[in-house]
Amino acid sequence: MESISFHRRMKNRVQPIDAATAQRWARRLTMRVGKVLAAHPQANPDNVRHTLILLEQPPLERLQRSLIRGRATAIFRK
Amino acid sequence: MAAPLPFSESELRLLQVLLKRKVRFMVVGLSAATLQGAPVVTQDVDLWFENLGEPKISQALQEVGAAYVPPSNFNPPMLAGAGAELFDIVIRMDGLGTFAEEFKNCVDVRLGRQKLKVLSLERILASKIAANRAKDKLTIPVLRDALAATQSVKRRPKKK
Repeated sequence: MESISFHRRMKNRVQPIDAATAQRWARRLTMRVGKVLAAHPQANPDNVRHTLILLEQPPLERLQRSLIRGRATAIFRK
Repeated sequence: MAAPLPFSESELRLLQVLLKRKVRFMVVGLSAATLQGAPVVTQDVDLWFENLGEPKISQALQEVGAAYVPPSNFNPPMLAGAGAELFDIVIRMDGLGTFAEEFKNCVDVRLGRQKLKVLSLERILASKIAANRAKDKLTIPVLRDALAATQSVKRRPKKK
């Protein structure tokens, strides 16, 4: 039951976006990554990009993603 | 209320009862870092309590069918029972001040009508640098970059 409601919630979060919107979002993201790297040249661009993407999600969803991946990694290690 | 994404109904209930009874605790470690946007993975949620001997904690745990298990031999203190599996108890935070000092450095994360105290990313980084275990060394650069990115977002002027 829990997993069904979880999948339903996740499905509801997927919103269709057109290619132009996606491209605008990607351009904006690239610009923001560039700004952070200009102030912190030693920072890893991937870490910065992933953080900026995660900041667009609500905090509890960020934790959800992290727990799913953390557990998957643990299972893979066993 | 439906359980927010990462928590089952029983896990959510446990947190809510602790908050309702005004138990002073905060989320620390990598789960706290992910709540603030750091791209790291974790398997559990670390909770730091101001005073584990506080009767309010046992009462809250009892209310949801969980219990506090004190440390013994090789086992650290832990929570057991309904909704407790996800949570780990932290009894020491390297490189940080007292609980009361760090409580001031917390950020609030909304959990239904209540607010969960979460140790700030800056202080999580400080604790990882101080602990300096092999697993911490892997996350330090990621946390440092995440902090740089989150600070840039906070500094961004709002559009009029």
